[in-house]
Amino acid sequence: MTDNDNLLIEKFFKQAAQQQIEDNGFTERVMAQIAQTKPSTRRKSILWTWFCVATALALFILLGGWESLKATMMVWMTTALTSLEVFVTTAPTTELPVNPAVVFLLVAFVLVYLPYQTARKLSAIQ
Amino acid sequence: MAVLGDIALVTQVAVFQNKKAFDQLVRKYQSPVRRFFLNQTMGDEMLSDDLAQETFIKAYMNITKFRGMSSFSTWLMRIAYNVFYDEMRKRKDETISFENSSLQQDYSSSSFHLPPSSLKMDLYAALALLKPSERTCITLQLIDGYPVDQISKITGIPENTVKSHLKRGKDKMANYLRENGYDR
Repeated sequence: MTDNDNLLIEKFFKQAAQQQIEDNGFTERVMAQIAQTKPSTRRKSILWTWFCVATALALFILLGGWESLKATMMVWMTTALTSLEVFVTTAPTTELPVNPAVVFLLVAFVLVYLPYQTARKLSAIQ
Repeated sequence: MAVLGDIALVTQVAVFQNKKAFDQLVRKYQSPVRRFFLNQTMGDEMLSDDLAQETFIKAYMNITKFRGMSSFSTWLMRIAYNVFYDEMRKRKDETISFENSSLQQDYSSSSFHLPPSSLKMDLYAALALLKPSERTCITLQLIDGYPVDQISKITGIPENTVKSHLKRGKDKMANYLRENGYDR
Protein backbone atom coordinates (compact mmCIF):
# COMPACT_ATOMS: atom_id res chain seq x y z
CA MET A 1 0.00 0.00 0.00
CA THR A 2 1.77 3.16 -1.21
CA ASP A 3 1.08 6.81 -0.41
CA ASN A 4 -0.23 7.09 -3.97
CA ASP A 5 -2.77 4.35 -3.30
CA ASN A 6 -3.88 6.12 -0.14
CA LEU A 7 -4.34 9.40 -2.02
CA LEU A 8 -6.26 7.58 -4.74
CA ILE A 9 -8.63 5.98 -2.23
CA GLU A 10 -9.14 9.20 -0.26
CA LYS A 11 -9.95 11.10 -3.46
CA PHE A 12 -12.37 8.39 -4.56
CA PHE A 13 -14.27 8.40 -1.28
CA LYS A 14 -14.15 12.17 -0.74
CA GLN A 15 -17.22 12.88 -2.83
CA ALA A 16 -19.17 10.01 -1.26
CA ALA A 17 -18.28 11.39 2.18
CA GLN A 18 -19.79 14.76 1.27
CA GLN A 19 -23.12 13.37 0.11
CA GLN A 20 -26.11 14.59 2.12
CA ILE A 21 -29.38 12.72 1.88
CA GLU A 22 -32.42 14.99 1.93
CA ASP A 23 -35.08 14.15 4.50
CA ASN A 24 -37.98 13.97 2.00
CA GLY A 25 -40.53 13.02 4.67
CA PHE A 26 -38.34 10.34 6.28
CA THR A 27 -38.55 11.93 9.75
CA GLU A 28 -42.36 12.19 9.51
CA ARG A 29 -42.56 8.49 8.61
CA VAL A 30 -40.39 7.54 11.59
CA MET A 31 -42.40 9.73 13.97
CA ALA A 32 -45.66 8.26 12.65
CA GLN A 33 -44.31 4.75 13.34
CA ILE A 34 -43.28 5.81 16.83
CA ALA A 35 -46.75 7.22 17.50
CA GLN A 36 -48.17 3.80 16.62
CA THR A 37 -45.77 1.82 18.80
CA LYS A 38 -45.81 4.14 21.79
CA PRO A 39 -49.13 3.36 23.59
CA SER A 40 -48.42 -0.30 24.38
CA THR A 41 -44.90 0.38 25.69
CA ARG A 42 -46.12 3.39 27.68
CA ARG A 43 -48.95 1.34 29.18
CA LYS A 44 -46.47 -1.40 30.10
CA SER A 45 -44.14 1.18 31.67
CA ILE A 46 -46.99 2.73 33.74
CA LEU A 47 -48.21 -0.71 34.88
CA TRP A 48 -44.66 -1.71 35.85
CA THR A 49 -44.19 1.53 37.83
CA TRP A 50 -47.47 0.98 39.76
CA PHE A 51 -46.59 -2.65 40.39
CA CYS A 52 -43.21 -1.63 41.86
CA VAL A 53 -44.77 1.11 44.02
CA ALA A 54 -47.46 -1.28 45.35
CA THR A 55 -44.90 -4.01 46.09
CA ALA A 56 -42.62 -1.55 47.87
CA LEU A 57 -45.52 -0.25 50.00
CA ALA A 58 -46.69 -3.77 50.87
CA LEU A 59 -43.17 -4.82 51.90
CA PHE A 60 -42.75 -1.61 53.91
CA ILE A 61 -45.94 -2.29 55.89
CA LEU A 62 -45.46 -6.07 56.26
CA LEU A 63 -41.84 -5.85 57.42
CA GLY A 64 -42.54 -3.13 60.02
CA GLY A 65 -40.90 -0.38 57.97
CA TRP A 66 -42.64 2.43 59.87
CA GLU A 67 -41.17 1.33 63.24
CA SER A 68 -37.67 1.04 61.73
CA LEU A 69 -38.02 4.44 60.10
CA LYS A 70 -39.17 6.01 63.39
CA ALA A 71 -36.22 4.46 65.27
CA THR A 72 -33.73 5.63 62.62
CA MET A 73 -35.18 9.17 62.69
CA MET A 74 -34.86 9.24 66.48
CA VAL A 75 -31.20 8.18 66.29
CA TRP A 76 -30.49 10.86 63.64
CA MET A 77 -32.24 13.56 65.65
CA THR A 78 -30.40 12.62 68.87
CA THR A 79 -27.06 12.63 67.01
CA ALA A 80 -27.82 16.02 65.41
CA LEU A 81 -28.86 17.57 68.74
CA THR A 82 -25.77 16.17 70.50
CA SER A 83 -23.50 17.52 67.73
CA LEU A 84 -25.17 20.94 67.96
CA GLU A 85 -24.78 20.97 71.72
CA VAL A 86 -21.08 20.04 71.44
CA PHE A 87 -20.55 22.72 68.78
CA VAL A 88 -22.29 25.44 70.82
CA THR A 89 -20.31 24.66 73.98
CA THR A 90 -16.93 24.31 72.24
CA ALA A 91 -17.21 26.91 69.39
CA PRO A 92 -14.55 29.66 69.36
CA THR A 93 -15.79 32.98 70.67
CA THR A 94 -13.99 35.08 68.03
CA GLU A 95 -15.83 35.77 64.76
CA LEU A 96 -14.73 34.04 61.54
CA PRO A 97 -13.22 36.53 59.04
CA VAL A 98 -15.57 36.97 56.07
CA ASN A 99 -14.47 38.68 52.87
CA PRO A 100 -17.42 40.78 51.55
CA ALA A 101 -16.15 40.52 47.94
CA VAL A 102 -16.16 36.72 48.09
CA VAL A 103 -19.67 36.73 49.56
CA PHE A 104 -20.85 39.11 46.82
CA LEU A 105 -19.35 36.93 44.07
CA LEU A 106 -20.87 33.78 45.56
CA VAL A 107 -24.33 35.37 45.82
CA ALA A 108 -24.05 36.74 42.25
CA PHE A 109 -23.03 33.30 40.95
CA VAL A 110 -25.97 31.56 42.60
CA LEU A 111 -28.64 34.21 41.95
CA VAL A 112 -27.60 35.50 38.51
CA TYR A 113 -25.17 33.24 36.63
CA LEU A 114 -26.75 29.84 37.39
CA PRO A 115 -30.35 30.88 36.52
CA TYR A 116 -29.03 32.58 33.34
CA GLN A 117 -27.17 29.43 32.21
CA THR A 118 -30.15 27.19 33.01
CA ALA A 119 -32.54 29.45 31.07
CA ARG A 120 -30.13 29.57 28.11
CA LYS A 121 -29.80 25.76 27.96
CA LEU A 122 -33.56 25.24 28.29
CA SER A 123 -34.27 27.74 25.51
CA ALA A 124 -31.72 25.95 23.29
CA ILE A 125 -33.62 22.65 23.75
CA GLN A 126 -37.06 24.11 22.90
CA MET B 1 -21.59 21.77 22.16
CA ALA B 2 -23.10 19.32 19.62
CA VAL B 3 -22.56 16.47 22.07
CA LEU B 4 -24.12 18.53 24.90
CA GLY B 5 -27.03 19.30 22.57
CA ASP B 6 -27.53 15.61 21.81
CA ILE B 7 -27.43 14.68 25.48
CA ALA B 8 -29.96 17.39 26.31
CA LEU B 9 -32.26 16.10 23.57
CA VAL B 10 -31.83 12.47 24.68
CA THR B 11 -32.66 13.51 28.26
CA GLN B 12 -35.82 15.23 27.06
CA VAL B 13 -36.86 12.05 25.22
CA ALA B 14 -35.94 9.66 28.04
CA VAL B 15 -37.41 11.64 30.93
CA PHE B 16 -40.35 13.53 29.42
CA GLN B 17 -41.04 11.38 26.33
CA ASN B 18 -40.61 14.62 24.38
CA LYS B 19 -41.38 13.63 20.78
CA LYS B 20 -40.22 17.00 19.43
CA ALA B 21 -36.75 16.33 20.83
CA PHE B 22 -36.64 12.92 19.16
CA ASP B 23 -37.88 14.50 15.93
CA GLN B 24 -34.83 16.78 16.06
CA LEU B 25 -32.50 13.82 16.62
CA VAL B 26 -34.00 11.95 13.64
CA ARG B 27 -33.66 15.02 11.41
CA LYS B 28 -30.04 15.47 12.47
CA TYR B 29 -28.93 11.87 11.99
CA GLN B 30 -31.17 10.59 9.17
CA SER B 31 -28.58 11.42 6.52
CA PRO B 32 -25.57 9.55 8.03
CA VAL B 33 -27.72 6.57 9.06
CA ARG B 34 -29.39 6.23 5.64
CA ARG B 35 -26.04 6.74 3.91
CA PHE B 36 -24.53 3.98 6.07
CA PHE B 37 -27.24 1.53 4.98
CA LEU B 38 -27.02 2.68 1.38
CA ASN B 39 -23.31 1.85 1.38
CA GLN B 40 -23.79 -1.52 3.09
CA THR B 41 -26.58 -2.57 0.70
CA MET B 42 -24.74 -1.04 -2.27
CA GLY B 43 -27.49 1.35 -3.21
CA ASP B 44 -30.72 -0.43 -2.29
CA GLU B 45 -32.72 2.69 -1.38
CA MET B 46 -35.93 1.04 -0.24
CA LEU B 47 -34.18 -1.47 1.98
CA SER B 48 -31.89 1.28 3.34
CA ASP B 49 -34.88 3.41 4.31
CA ASP B 50 -36.62 0.45 5.96
CA LEU B 51 -33.51 -0.41 7.96
CA ALA B 52 -32.91 3.24 8.90
CA GLN B 53 -36.52 3.50 10.10
CA GLU B 54 -36.07 0.34 12.19
CA THR B 55 -32.86 1.81 13.63
CA PHE B 56 -34.57 5.00 14.82
CA ILE B 57 -37.53 3.10 16.26
CA LYS B 58 -35.15 0.82 18.19
CA ALA B 59 -33.21 3.87 19.38
CA TYR B 60 -36.46 5.43 20.65
CA MET B 61 -37.58 2.26 22.41
CA ASN B 62 -34.18 1.83 24.10
CA ILE B 63 -33.26 5.48 24.68
CA THR B 64 -33.18 4.98 28.46
CA LYS B 65 -30.31 2.51 27.93
CA PHE B 66 -28.11 5.29 26.47
CA ARG B 67 -25.61 6.03 29.26
CA GLY B 68 -23.58 8.72 27.51
CA MET B 69 -20.40 6.62 27.68
CA SER B 70 -19.94 7.26 23.95
CA SER B 71 -21.44 9.94 21.73
CA PHE B 72 -25.07 9.57 20.65
CA SER B 73 -23.99 9.15 17.01
CA THR B 74 -21.72 6.19 17.93
CA TRP B 75 -24.54 4.62 19.96
CA LEU B 76 -26.97 5.12 17.08
CA MET B 77 -24.52 3.67 14.54
CA ARG B 78 -24.07 0.64 16.78
CA ILE B 79 -27.84 0.07 16.62
CA ALA B 80 -27.71 0.58 12.84
CA TYR B 81 -24.88 -1.97 12.56
CA ASN B 82 -26.88 -4.53 14.60
CA VAL B 83 -30.01 -3.91 12.53
CA PHE B 84 -28.00 -4.44 9.35
CA TYR B 85 -26.38 -7.66 10.56
CA ASP B 86 -29.74 -9.02 11.78
CA GLU B 87 -31.07 -8.38 8.27
CA MET B 88 -27.99 -10.08 6.76
CA ARG B 89 -28.53 -13.15 8.93
CA LYS B 90 -32.19 -13.23 7.90
CA ARG B 91 -31.18 -13.01 4.24
CA LYS B 92 -28.56 -15.71 4.69
CA ASP B 93 -31.32 -18.00 5.94
CA GLU B 94 -33.38 -17.10 2.90
CA THR B 95 -30.22 -17.45 0.68
CA ILE B 96 -30.60 -13.95 -0.82
CA SER B 97 -27.53 -11.73 -0.70
CA PHE B 98 -27.22 -7.98 -1.16
CA GLU B 99 -24.66 -8.59 -3.88
CA ASN B 100 -27.22 -10.45 -5.99
CA SER B 101 -30.23 -8.28 -5.32
CA SER B 102 -29.01 -4.71 -5.24
CA LEU B 103 -26.45 -4.37 -7.99
CA GLN B 104 -29.14 -4.87 -10.61
CA GLN B 105 -30.86 -1.63 -9.55
CA ASP B 106 -31.64 1.33 -11.75
CA TYR B 107 -29.30 3.91 -10.22
CA SER B 108 -30.53 6.69 -12.49
CA SER B 109 -33.96 6.84 -10.82
CA SER B 110 -32.49 7.93 -7.50
CA SER B 111 -34.29 10.61 -5.48
CA PHE B 112 -31.29 10.95 -3.16
CA HIS B 113 -28.59 13.60 -3.32
CA LEU B 114 -25.76 11.32 -4.31
CA PRO B 115 -22.57 11.73 -6.29
CA PRO B 116 -22.86 11.71 -10.10
CA SER B 117 -24.34 8.47 -11.42
CA SER B 118 -21.14 6.97 -12.91
CA LEU B 119 -19.14 7.58 -9.74
CA LYS B 120 -22.02 6.20 -7.67
CA MET B 121 -22.07 3.01 -9.75
CA ASP B 122 -18.27 2.74 -9.45
CA LEU B 123 -18.51 3.27 -5.69
CA TYR B 124 -21.07 0.51 -5.22
CA ALA B 125 -19.23 -1.77 -7.67
CA ALA B 126 -16.01 -1.19 -5.71
CA LEU B 127 -17.77 -1.81 -2.38
CA ALA B 128 -19.24 -5.03 -3.80
CA LEU B 129 -15.69 -6.41 -4.07
CA LEU B 130 -15.29 -6.27 -0.30
CA LYS B 131 -16.43 -8.73 2.33
CA PRO B 132 -19.28 -7.31 4.49
CA SER B 133 -17.05 -6.66 7.52
CA GLU B 134 -14.39 -5.00 5.33
CA ARG B 135 -17.08 -2.88 3.67
CA THR B 136 -18.45 -1.76 7.04
CA CYS B 137 -14.98 -0.77 8.32
CA ILE B 138 -14.01 0.97 5.07
CA THR B 139 -17.22 3.00 4.78
CA LEU B 140 -17.23 3.91 8.48
CA GLN B 141 -13.70 5.26 8.17
CA LEU B 142 -13.55 6.77 4.69
CA ILE B 143 -17.14 7.98 4.29
CA ASP B 144 -18.42 8.54 7.82
CA GLY B 145 -15.05 9.61 9.21
CA TYR B 146 -14.91 7.43 12.34
CA PRO B 147 -11.47 6.61 13.83
CA VAL B 148 -10.45 2.98 14.44
CA ASP B 149 -11.45 2.97 18.15
CA GLN B 150 -14.95 4.26 17.34
CA ILE B 151 -15.33 1.69 14.53
CA SER B 152 -14.39 -0.96 17.07
CA LYS B 153 -17.08 0.34 19.46
CA ILE B 154 -19.73 0.44 16.73
CA THR B 155 -19.03 -3.02 15.33
CA GLY B 156 -17.83 -4.76 18.48
CA ILE B 157 -14.80 -5.97 16.49
CA PRO B 158 -11.39 -5.70 18.27
CA GLU B 159 -9.27 -2.73 17.11
CA ASN B 160 -6.52 -4.90 15.58
CA THR B 161 -9.09 -6.82 13.54
CA VAL B 162 -10.59 -3.51 12.37
CA LYS B 163 -7.10 -2.45 11.25
CA SER B 164 -6.69 -5.72 9.33
CA HIS B 165 -10.09 -5.27 7.64
CA LEU B 166 -9.13 -1.71 6.69
CA LYS B 167 -5.77 -2.80 5.28
CA ARG B 168 -7.25 -5.63 3.18
CA GLY B 169 -10.17 -3.46 2.06
CA LYS B 170 -7.90 -0.60 1.01
CA ASP B 171 -5.66 -2.97 -0.96
CA LYS B 172 -8.68 -4.25 -2.86
CA MET B 173 -9.94 -0.69 -3.43
CA ALA B 174 -6.55 0.47 -4.72
CA ASN B 175 -6.41 -2.44 -7.20
CA TYR B 176 -9.93 -1.71 -8.39
CA LEU B 177 -9.20 2.00 -8.87
CA ARG B 178 -5.99 1.31 -10.77
CA GLU B 179 -7.71 -1.24 -13.02
CA ASN B 180 -10.44 1.29 -13.80
CA GLY B 181 -8.04 4.10 -14.68
CA TYR B 182 -8.53 6.28 -11.62
CA ASP B 183 -4.75 6.72 -11.31
CA ARG B 184 -4.47 8.55 -14.62
